[in-house]
Amino acid sequence: MAQKVLEALQKKFGDAITATETNHGDEVAYVKRDKLIEVATYLRDDSAMAFDSPVFVTCIDRMGNDPGNEYRFAVCYQLRSVEKRHRIRLKIELKEDDVKLPSLAALWPGFNWQERETFDMYGIKFEGHEDLRRIYLYEEFVGYPLRKDYPKDKRQPLVRRHGEAKRVKR
Amino acid sequence: MSTEETKTTDKAADAPPPEPVKDPNSVTLTIDGREVTVPKGTNVIEAARKAGIEISSFCYHPGLPIAANCRQCLVSIEKSPKLQPSCQAIAGDGMVVHTTDEHSKLARRQMLEFTLVNHPIDCPICDKAGECRLQQLYFDFDNAPSRVNTPKVHKSKRVDLGPTIVLDQERCILCTRCIRVCDEVAGQHQLEMSYRGNKERLGTAPGAVLDNPYSLNTVDVCPVGALTSKDFRFTMRAWELTMTPSVCTGCATGCNIEVHHKNDRVWRLIPRHNPDVNDYWMCDEGRFTYKPLRADRAMAPVIKGMPAVMADAVDEAEKRLRAALDGDKNRIGVVVSTQHNNEDNYALAKLSRDIWELTRFYKSGKPVEPDRADDILRDEDVNPNRAGVIAILGEGVAAIPSILEKDLLAGELSTLIVLGHELPVSEAAAARATGIDNLIVIADREIGIAEHADVLLPSAAWAEANGTITNRKGMVQRMHAAVTPPGEAQPGWLLVGLLARACDAAVQYDTAKLVFNEMKGAVEAFKDADWGRPHLPIQLRFAHSRG
Amino acid sequence: MGNLKSYVLGRKNVEDLDANEELPQELMTINMGPSHPAMHGTVRIVLTVDGERVVRSDVQPGYLHRCFEKESEHATYTQVFPYTDRLNYVSPLLNNVGYAMAVEKLLDLTDEIPERLQYIRVIIGEISRITDHLTCIGASAMELGAFTAFLYFLKAREWFYTLLEELSGARLTHSYVRIGGVANDLTDDFEEKTLHILDELETVMHEVFILINNNRIFYDRMAGVGTFSREDAISHGLTGPCLRASGVDYDVRKDFPYLVYDRFEFDVPIGSEGDCYDRYLVRMEEIRQSMRILRQAFEQLPDGPVKVDDPRVALPDKPATYNTIEAMIRHFKHIVDGIRVPAGEGYTFIEGGNGELGFFVVSDGTGRPYKCYVRSPSFVTLSTASKTIEHHLISDIVPIFGMINMIGGECDK
Repeated sequence: MAQKVLEALQKKFGDAITATETNHGDEVAYVKRDKLIEVATYLRDDSAMAFDSPVFVTCIDRMGNDPGNEYRFAVCYQLRSVEKRHRIRLKIELKEDDVKLPSLAALWPGFNWQERETFDMYGIKFEGHEDLRRIYLYEEFVGYPLRKDYPKDKRQPLVRRHGEAKRVKR
Repeated sequence: MSTEETKTTDKAADAPPPEPVKDPNSVTLTIDGREVTVPKGTNVIEAARKAGIEISSFCYHPGLPIAANCRQCLVSIEKSPKLQPSCQAIAGDGMVVHTTDEHSKLARRQMLEFTLVNHPIDCPICDKAGECRLQQLYFDFDNAPSRVNTPKVHKSKRVDLGPTIVLDQERCILCTRCIRVCDEVAGQHQLEMSYRGNKERLGTAPGAVLDNPYSLNTVDVCPVGALTSKDFRFTMRAWELTMTPSVCTGCATGCNIEVHHKNDRVWRLIPRHNPDVNDYWMCDEGRFTYKPLRADRAMAPVIKGMPAVMADAVDEAEKRLRAALDGDKNRIGVVVSTQHNNEDNYALAKLSRDIWELTRFYKSGKPVEPDRADDILRDEDVNPNRAGVIAILGEGVAAIPSILEKDLLAGELSTLIVLGHELPVSEAAAARATGIDNLIVIADREIGIAEHADVLLPSAAWAEANGTITNRKGMVQRMHAAVTPPGEAQPGWLLVGLLARACDAAVQYDTAKLVFNEMKGAVEAFKDADWGRPHLPIQLRFAHSRG
Repeated sequence: MGNLKSYVLGRKNVEDLDANEELPQELMTINMGPSHPAMHGTVRIVLTVDGERVVRSDVQPGYLHRCFEKESEHATYTQVFPYTDRLNYVSPLLNNVGYAMAVEKLLDLTDEIPERLQYIRVIIGEISRITDHLTCIGASAMELGAFTAFLYFLKAREWFYTLLEELSGARLTHSYVRIGGVANDLTDDFEEKTLHILDELETVMHEVFILINNNRIFYDRMAGVGTFSREDAISHGLTGPCLRASGVDYDVRKDFPYLVYDRFEFDVPIGSEGDCYDRYLVRMEEIRQSMRILRQAFEQLPDGPVKVDDPRVALPDKPATYNTIEAMIRHFKHIVDGIRVPAGEGYTFIEGGNGELGFFVVSDGTGRPYKCYVRSPSFVTLSTASKTIEHHLISDIVPIFGMINMIGGECDK
């Protein structure tokens, strides 16, 4: 049902939308990273698009699965429109050594924490995010656990409590 | 072969490109609508595999002669009235093959139904469950419920075929792969089918026992759990294992293997296909080379028989080495090991030969076994890396063991730096070796010379470190680390680096790959070697290596 | 900091203190820590307060993070069901149903689900929604001091738990749903017992209603507190009762109907102010609407199979498994390899107790999910908490937090 959205996007942004697909009822548009803010602003502000509500942000780590594809990560943004009742997924593909992209938290405040979660789990750096720090895991955690090369049973070093409790002399 | 049209000399942009010249040794056929070109003489099942279509089969094995007795691979070939077994049909030019038409699909299901009529309901106790080809083909191609209600035919369940293999006759689907392995690969006829119809069963040939040195390959090729290895049966469930590729360290042939491990413990080794080295097979002795990984392992550094901390052991070794280097350098001997990989040997060679400029080198290893050699896979040299050591140190420099014997008995050595725990000398010389001033050993097991070391640094074994070894043909093959070294054991090159740093020598590497890269540039014979890509451990059910 | 010692030791009266010089002025940072009776499910709020008023707050979830996504990547599709139970642990069956629907969408099985199965999923979903709302309102009321309401609602919740225990074997972590079906059919007296409970629940609802609905204290603490405007709610991605309380008419069951929700008559309560009191009212009304749906569902419930008849997803029955090799192999491959879902990705969302609960499943053709991401409504709702509690008193945090209904398991995954 969001086929029109995809067509409008392709017409307006041309080759910033590298691919579109529809799978299982979801419309997906692959967006180039440098045009992301433009595309997102258009989706939010245009009256025919009216994507005013964020749904989720996450990332797919395709490591090893697709030998022909040089992009390792695909960050997915899902948006929905309350009045138009349509949804769209934006996918931005990132290479392994260049995992940053502009943050959409300024456009939709709902993405604030979700981008922090994606950073926490995958190490994707969202530029322009006001407070990009870990959300689920503690600060001393080393590594990004949901990446495919992080083994499930890897141990983390024990963390000392902040400040040592001094015994008071009586 | 099409004749080329005479082309006009006008090279206009819209002239059609010339037709490609057809290779007289290849044929083009169409399978399920896909065109594929294969060399002449290829059978249809291999042509389909090249086209990306997997045709179900039991008795076909690319390394064995064709039997075509299971009839599982029947496909429709146009212009043939009956279904043809695709393992036996040779691809012809312009042949059109259908594998998914109704006739072939029905034949496939019927063959599976026949195979399953008398198959015992053993999955919960069968070793092969999880890597069983019958399970996989039934689930992928059939999935129909049973239609018979008659009692199954009973045969013997625990037949002892020989020293290594147990047979369950009921599970056997009579594909005869095992018979062909014994006949063709091992060259000895030891297995036979007897009786006929639904009473047909596998057994040993009259007067024979399944004891050839390649018997465990029959367990690999058996599509079901009829043949099971006594060593492995009932120890571990196949789908819980993880696969890491490596190379066998049993002899100089260097058969490519898969290490199957779980929870830091190796459970079995099976061969990996390499057409240049071992095809699809390996010998039985090589399969048991995983057992020393857990026997008498050196897990902590030892100073004169007492366990110590790594820092203290390195300090002790440094003291002794400095004292030895300040004295007569000609009295220091270095023993490199044909049992250790190229990287360990290269690091030690670089430190001792290039930096310290020592001259007395010896190579150690297990003694040669001439009875072992055959034309199939087994080599008389049971050391995996002799060629590598010779390449690194030169033919003459790595003196043969008898010179070591001579030097020891003559008392010419005051210090020995030994890689590995073997010292192939007589007892008298070995007693001399234990008595010299400084005996520094880097070994993975606390046996042999390592027991008497002044300083013992524990090294990682073959399945625990990334590295390369060179086989008898000079091929440098990469081994991947499958399990973590126990205790404080580290790879040999890293321990050499610790000694070097303590003695202010510039031999220091962070990863095995850096050692390899340096070695590749320095050693002439290794210039074409390849480190390969890193290998993430694959769970067996996704490795598609068995079943 | 002034001479705090001097006037504590000197025992001055507060009126005699000079406001500008002797009372401490700076902001204080305190921890409303993960172990706090009102922080349901372990959330830490680092508050910077000026007296009793919150100046800044930093809400820190993650104390219950149990790596749902990473674990589900290493488990077969059926083995993920116990993990989904523990996401929103007060309405576990809704999570089960959502995940099952997500995987069935990738398997293209959505149209082949038998009718009875769809009704059963609706029934257990609505029962879970009722238990979710009962817990939320009960616990929030208790934190405001209305202990009786809590006990009454938990007594009602226990009836449901006992009923579901008969059905699935566990009070809370049912794992009742399967891909392409449910574990077993409803028990024989399920309908009779549920309808009886619903009648009793009407009485309990009325009892609690008269206790707290027009209660002066309850009203004063909830009304006008934690207001969220319509535009803010939408742009923050809120869904569920919190969004409906702010006046937006959005309910997945009505707008994107799934299962057989389009066959029922039910209303969707919308609030007007967007404050905590509205959220409470919306939840109370939703319980009533769920009861309405349940009664209609039981009337319409047809007979039929409760599993899809597809050998790719359904386990064979036990007599066949133990007596024929074919069924044994099929059972074996299902358990060991998992259901092989064709490669693809899909996002499926249902109306959870707190809003739009979505599962984004990416499969790679094997029997294990390549990625199974949960869009948890509590996480999104909690992200608004930081903004909401600013400029409120510390004691306002309690009703705000309660009415957000942040379930730790769902928020932290």
